[in-house]
Amino acid sequence: MSRPDRREASQLRALNCSLGQLNRADGSTQFSAGNTSVVSGVYGPVEAKVYEEKLDRAVVEVKFRADIGAPTTKDKWVESAVRSTFEREILAHLHPRTLVQIVIQLREGDGSVDSAAINATTLALVDAGIPLKCMITAATCAVLFDDTTVVDPTQEEIDAARSTHTFAFASGSNDRGPLYVDSRGEFTMDEYSHCYDMCTLATERVLAFMRTAIEGKVTKEAKIGAA
Amino acid sequence: MVAEIGPSNIESAFLLEALKKGTRVDGRGIYDYRTLKISCGPTYGLAEVQLGQTWVLARVSCEVTRPFPDRPTEGIVLFNTELSNMAGFGLESSRSSTQEVAISRMVERVIKQSRAIDAEALCILAGEKVWTVRIDVHFLDHGGNLIDAASIAAIAALRHFRRPDVTIDGEEAIIHDVRERNPVPLSIHHTPICVTFGFFGAAGDMLVLDPTLLEEQVQVSSFTITLNSHREICALNKAGGIPLSPAQIQRCTQVALAKVDEVNEKIQLALKASTA
Repeated sequence: MSRPDRREASQLRALNCSLGQLNRADGSTQFSAGNTSVVSGVYGPVEAKVYEEKLDRAVVEVKFRADIGAPTTKDKWVESAVRSTFEREILAHLHPRTLVQIVIQLREGDGSVDSAAINATTLALVDAGIPLKCMITAATCAVLFDDTTVVDPTQEEIDAARSTHTFAFASGSNDRGPLYVDSRGEFTMDEYSHCYDMCTLATERVLAFMRTAIEGKVTKEAKIGAA
Repeated sequence: MVAEIGPSNIESAFLLEALKKGTRVDGRGIYDYRTLKISCGPTYGLAEVQLGQTWVLARVSCEVTRPFPDRPTEGIVLFNTELSNMAGFGLESSRSSTQEVAISRMVERVIKQSRAIDAEALCILAGEKVWTVRIDVHFLDHGGNLIDAASIAAIAALRHFRRPDVTIDGEEAIIHDVRERNPVPLSIHHTPICVTFGFFGAAGDMLVLDPTLLEEQVQVSSFTITLNSHREICALNKAGGIPLSPAQIQRCTQVALAKVDEVNEKIQLALKASTA
């Protein structure tokens, strides 16, 4: 079995990110895995509109913009996926009557967009200093027609896949189960479990990558602060 | 929601004082652009422009559609600007958002109405099938002068874009997959580039090129001139503000002529870098 880009089945594409690129947003990240690339910006906590504010906690709002065309239901789906994943993991009760707005812009979609959006948003929230219960990392798996399972599929692989699965986990609590699951297509219980395991491993690697990225930024800021 | 907080009196006074001495707050000369970074690719039709703190993304795509009945031999060019909340638009009052709509209208006019794209070359079968070229411009960060950045990004993306090749056999058109046959570039007549000036002082006697967000908030008038590489004027825009003298407009035109050449050269370099 060989993948079009000669990766191993369990190999992620090259991850890349930079934090705090946007000047107007309170926190932001540019996150890419291979050709899939998203920018996530976080505003918050800011004043909420009167009709949407909640007395005991912050409201989380997510906007997802595709690179091509007007907003579609697919984009709305990603929005709701990201919102439902993060809503309960943001310590919203610390900022009552406010709004945390997450804006995700797709720069280029080459498969595994939803997991890239979740990963980028975690980093952007950290960059914005929004208190979180945990770090959330996501990975996507695809089961191809020859029964092989590949991690972080490209669009080409997704188009030729029998089923795709995206899992998001909270850091340090994999035994708690995934925060978010999105499975599409036809699959058996065994395939599902196999994807679950592969994504668990992949998210650990993503988490390690995020840690390095944040550490890099913190040390850089500390140096500037000391100088 | 959160109202846009304008600059404080001290900030604007400082800016004006400095300008009187011929300096700008960020240390630029009055006719200097901020650092302009253009990057194209990796996919066809993707261009990103960073003009100082302003960050704009343009994406060109195409699909086969039916032409408009009154123009059966012309392809369709769609233009869409996303006033993304990422640049902080959604958080401001509605007043400034009308201002942003003006920006997107301006860029659209420049690209579409100056007939930069050869619409007839987008025809596949007259009256039956044409290409619809779609330009999506996304504003990611707002550091002032969105118009110039957006026009540069749109032009770079259009020039970088390749559409699938088509062969016509009688009444049948075959659209070749990108892997099967090399995709072809769009036919572009000319490349209009916007150059924006901001005016300051009671009579608008001080001017700067490429105003930053702070300068935009303090300026008394702005003027956008759109030129192409053949040194032709494609569009002029002075939306309100204090009246300016014809001599000032002429001065702006002279400066803009030189700047457009520089920008075109940078676009050329970015296109070359992406194919190398």
